[in-house]
Amino acid sequence: MWNRRRVLGATVIGAVAVTAPGGCGLFDSDPEPIPEPDPIQPVLDEARALAAAYDRLAAAQPDLSGRITPLAEDHRAHAAALAILIGAAGPSAGAPVPSAPAPAALSGLRAAESAAMKTASASARTAPADRAALMGSIAACRATHVEALR
Amino acid sequence: MNEQLAAALAAEEAAIYAYALIGVRLSKGEQTLARTAEADHRTRRDQLVSRLDQLKASPAPAPAGYDLPFPVTDRASALKLAIHIEDGVAQAWRATLAVTSAADRATALGALTGAAIQAVKWRRVAGVAPLTMAFPGRPQ
Repeated sequence: MWNRRRVLGATVIGAVAVTAPGGCGLFDSDPEPIPEPDPIQPVLDEARALAAAYDRLAAAQPDLSGRITPLAEDHRAHAAALAILIGAAGPSAGAPVPSAPAPAALSGLRAAESAAMKTASASARTAPADRAALMGSIAACRATHVEALR
Repeated sequence: MNEQLAAALAAEEAAIYAYALIGVRLSKGEQTLARTAEADHRTRRDQLVSRLDQLKASPAPAPAGYDLPFPVTDRASALKLAIHIEDGVAQAWRATLAVTSAADRATALGALTGAAIQAVKWRRVAGVAPLTMAFPGRPQ
């Protein structure tokens, strides 16, 4: 109980400091709170990783390039749209593409597309109205990639 | 929401109408694909009719016929219409996403995805490349 009251008291002081007009300077040296990652950040990370994975496979097997390069382009278009939505000031703007093991074959990419489709679908189902259409299109596109890789 | 769902219903009705014209121009194997697609659109149509009834919305009755974007005279134009129809259904459902939530949103996402996949199947049959588009359902 004692500890809980102390914590609550500290929270109130913090809230007052944040809302004080112009700031009183007392807490100015506090570090900025780490911003919550945008809920669609995982969808952006997947788009970048998938584009890179297709590029690696196309480089290793040029005969597949004509078939899979359009899929990589779809993911790059998604990444561009998502990066704009999240905002240039987002926590991971310009973050390196997450490293993924190079898929040995199209079947590996198909599994990755299927998993990414589930991420995007979950995001589309819960997205606020102004993001719903974009997230829905990205989820549907990933589903079409699974079909295209049959 | 009712306005967008009514538009999705109109798109599904148009698809059912179109598939009757498409099927007769296709080969046997392609007709099976067309029948499956048409059955999906009938299911979506019936679900929409029920949902709009629940919402006490009464959309305009489906017209007896539709103006086709181009004449369907052979296999190539039939496949082209099938792709066109699925893209149109995808557009109508995508427009419902922003005005729906929960189960209605999930239904809309499933319908958008289904139409986008069906369009890919028709592009493959027709030999159209690329098979996919980055933003299915986004107005062209």
